[in-house]
Amino acid sequence: MTDLLSAADEAEALEDLHSRGCTDGLPVVIPTRERVARMVLASGQDGDMVLGTMGPGHGIATIENVAVAAVMAGCLPDYMPVVVAAVKAVIDPMFDLTEMQATTHCTAPLVIVNGPARHTCGPIASGTGALGPGHRANASIGRALRLTMINIGKARPGSSDMALLGHPGKFTYCLAEDEENSPFPPLHVDLGFEADDSVVTVLGAEAPHSVLFAGDGDDPDAYKVLLDLLAMGLANAPSNNAILTGGAATVVLNPEHSGVFQKAGLSRQDIARELYERCFLEPEMVKHLMSAFAGDNPSRRMAFTGPEQILILQAGGSGLYSMVMPSWCAGTHTNAAVSVKVEADMFCEIPGLAASAGQTS
Amino acid sequence: MRDGINLAQLGIPAVALVTEEFWPQGDFVAQSLGMPGVPRVKLPHPVAGTGAVNMREVADAIAPLVIRALEATDD
Repeated sequence: MTDLLSAADEAEALEDLHSRGCTDGLPVVIPTRERVARMVLASGQDGDMVLGTMGPGHGIATIENVAVAAVMAGCLPDYMPVVVAAVKAVIDPMFDLTEMQATTHCTAPLVIVNGPARHTCGPIASGTGALGPGHRANASIGRALRLTMINIGKARPGSSDMALLGHPGKFTYCLAEDEENSPFPPLHVDLGFEADDSVVTVLGAEAPHSVLFAGDGDDPDAYKVLLDLLAMGLANAPSNNAILTGGAATVVLNPEHSGVFQKAGLSRQDIARELYERCFLEPEMVKHLMSAFAGDNPSRRMAFTGPEQILILQAGGSGLYSMVMPSWCAGTHTNAAVSVKVEADMFCEIPGLAASAGQTS
Repeated sequence: MRDGINLAQLGIPAVALVTEEFWPQGDFVAQSLGMPGVPRVKLPHPVAGTGAVNMREVADAIAPLVIRALEATDD
């Protein structure tokens, strides 16, 4: 059972939560007993159900204390299955949550949602401004995950979260894939799931780096320029990928850029392979730029161990810009991407619940 | 810190070397893993990238402290 605090009113409760370090610095919805109970009820699972432990504080994540975070983040109950799946993903030992939370690197968990849950547990935006403000599900699902990392995992800046600066994605970092307009199969299908599954894929990521490409309809090889530009962003020399090799990283293609590759006859796997082959530093650059990591006779340094480490999805509005997110690359499993199926069929829909979730009980 | 604690839990004498900047994190890790008294020696910050001469000076300065901490683990 989650510890209960008391306060004279919601304003006092908010100040208390801030002073205890239980928030991300922004105001939260006060997780009253009633609100949390409704969020648990909407999950369709017992509040006491244990999901696992979250480092570095080794707190035990249950449906109930995940529901506390979801309430605080401003989630609608509809979002709970996605929040729970995201928490399960970071708890997976492959994710190296303890090390990730404690690192001095800026890494933050990027949550990618595929399948019907994009609509039934949202809408989770995948189009214009999907990673920016104005999309409640994106904003609050990512924030709920962060609040579990703070309050269950006990990550606090300067004592257990040692990120030297961090980045804004540490507040929230969630989007859906634009499956309907993508020329490629949905990401989760290429990861081995069924098309009608809902899947959350989480991986540590730097802030998005914009990639400008205007294209040239008269040049049949223009796609190669786009590949070069994306590779330069993914494996830019000061990034951990370029130095340490082998962390999963993300490429978010806008509709035009997906279309360029489609026109060139490239599949997602083809793009990943082409990017993998372009992401490297020559030995003299390794020696010049990173002597501390170079060794005596450095060889060509690849940014990835294989094409499968490069996750490619379509999202965002129409225009000139795609995004790449290099990564942290450290931890026992070197920044693995972890995918978890969303258990949406256990969701308990309660009439009128969504409308009342954010109101005072 | 975690390496030092893991080794200590295996019964292998260990001393964690922690820079001043990371000392509070060391407190957190030691508490959260149930070994608040795990042997630690404080280093100046930063050490990484400060050059061989400085690192040798740091090593010379802390060597007696490391030995003392290891001897204390035998008690």
